[in-house]
Amino acid sequence: MRTAFLETLVGLMRSHEDIITLTADMGFSVFEHIQKEFPTRFINTGVTEQSTVGIATGLALSGFKVYFYAQAPFATMRCFEQIRLDVAYNHVNVKIIGVAAGFSSNQLGISHFALEDVGLMRLLPNMTIFTPGDPIEAEWATKRAYIVDGPVYIRLTKSDSPVVHVNKPTFRVSRGIKISKGNDISLFVSGSLLPMAQEIVSSLQRKNIHAALISMPTIKPIDREIILKEAKKTGKVITLEEHSIIGGLGSIVAEIIAEEGKTVKFHRFGVPDKFTSVTGSPEYLLQYNGLSVARITKSILNLLKN
Amino acid sequence: MTNNKLSDLQKKAKEIRRTVLSMIVGAKASHIASSYSVVDLLVYLYDYVLRIDPKNPQDPDRDRFILSKGWGVSALYAILAKKGFFEQRLLEAYCRDGSKMIGISTRNGIPGIEATTGSMGHGLPIGVGMALAAKLKKQKNRIFVIISDGECDEGSTWEAILQAGHHKLENLVVIIDYNKWQSFGRIKDILDLEPFSRKWQAFKWAALEIDGHNFKKIDRAFSKIPLVKNKPTVIIAHTIKGKGVSVLQDRNEWHYRTPTEKEIKIAKEELSL
Repeated sequence: MRTAFLETLVGLMRSHEDIITLTADMGFSVFEHIQKEFPTRFINTGVTEQSTVGIATGLALSGFKVYFYAQAPFATMRCFEQIRLDVAYNHVNVKIIGVAAGFSSNQLGISHFALEDVGLMRLLPNMTIFTPGDPIEAEWATKRAYIVDGPVYIRLTKSDSPVVHVNKPTFRVSRGIKISKGNDISLFVSGSLLPMAQEIVSSLQRKNIHAALISMPTIKPIDREIILKEAKKTGKVITLEEHSIIGGLGSIVAEIIAEEGKTVKFHRFGVPDKFTSVTGSPEYLLQYNGLSVARITKSILNLLKN
Repeated sequence: MTNNKLSDLQKKAKEIRRTVLSMIVGAKASHIASSYSVVDLLVYLYDYVLRIDPKNPQDPDRDRFILSKGWGVSALYAILAKKGFFEQRLLEAYCRDGSKMIGISTRNGIPGIEATTGSMGHGLPIGVGMALAAKLKKQKNRIFVIISDGECDEGSTWEAILQAGHHKLENLVVIIDYNKWQSFGRIKDILDLEPFSRKWQAFKWAALEIDGHNFKKIDRAFSKIPLVKNKPTVIIAHTIKGKGVSVLQDRNEWHYRTPTEKEIKIAKEELSL
């Protein structure tokens, strides 16, 4: 995903002279060529997330479109108040790129995990949020962020995520993408767990359960229509995300369904409301938090039985 | 500075303080002393330094002015109105129901207000961004930011100071309203900033200390900016919180209180021409 972002960004910077990229000292071995090609429009501001958001705002108020790149916990949480007051309130063209979100920095522990970022960004008026689930979605989100008038948060996870969209779908802001059809249950996924969601769908298929799979690369504004349509059609709605179960996709879908007075079977799969104080591979950490194909498939089968 | 120019500035500063008094009293608002502390600097800046056309306040080539200590905004509103950025009668809406004349500098369409500040440590980073933008666009405009001494507690302020020195932003001028008070008490008792000037110099800034109420000193300082080529400039202005009215001066309660009838009477007498 990160590679797709970087390649797309270079292309954008070549064709749009009003783009400035700021990094808070992140990007060793990946940003060097951008730095070389754009010595004035690429600025490493050092480890200064808070003031960098202010600087990005000053640049944006002067007519530039700014991509601000940092690790997700520091890009969103260290400087949340600056994002709120400087970026979101002023509705400026600052595109915040949070890399290594979720458990991507698996070995580094809680300081480097970002499991609350979507929830925080979602609280802010004017903010558009993209949570790409594969390199194709990441490329779209990076390009789209340039066109969106105002602040954007792009949540990027692992650098080596596989391509899911073999055929490039038609993307639109605030549109969910139906990846597979099914009438038994609707599975909504945002971000890094898209490949896992596909596996869950296959594993349900083997049990003769036909799941509709919908990828949600835009978290805000959300595709309300597709959520309600699926709720009506299957009456069973599942959400999946590498984020706290509070504040992310699961919360959003629950709010929409509850407000519409729909009675559905519903379950949120995400990271439970507790800190993870162990290390391990990304797969291990997900599993530690109950997020594996086998466990989720089993839970879904139980849900369908009751 | 000629005597005429000096007496004109002094007269204007008194007038602005009178306007601020009526705004604050009318709205039963706070922060009168924070405004009085910067009135003289603001009057001078808008008369002699800032290249901003009230008739064309969005001109891309204008100088930018950010009042990072946004709680002193009543003084700025009074000056902007006097300069013709908007109508004088708008001042009556200060801090009233539904008004855009908010008690903290807020970018909400009021001509002349460039940034939303008041949360401390925001104005200078934005100013650094604007200075970088001007440099990239090869524009001749300059960026002026007034920060408070209390704001120099904030890490984001020092991050921005480091950044501006590193990038040699000579188009950036910071003026510190060094009135020696922060919210809860004296700066030196809470979190001492001294040696203040040397700290900025160590961060690759050119620094100058002046009496922030002495127009001759202010005039001399601004005639020299940028103080040093390839360096941002900081003018540390020693000021008195509540300057101009004896009962308001150098007392921390005036960060919060609204003057009583008796105090208003004294203020009006002392501010009469």
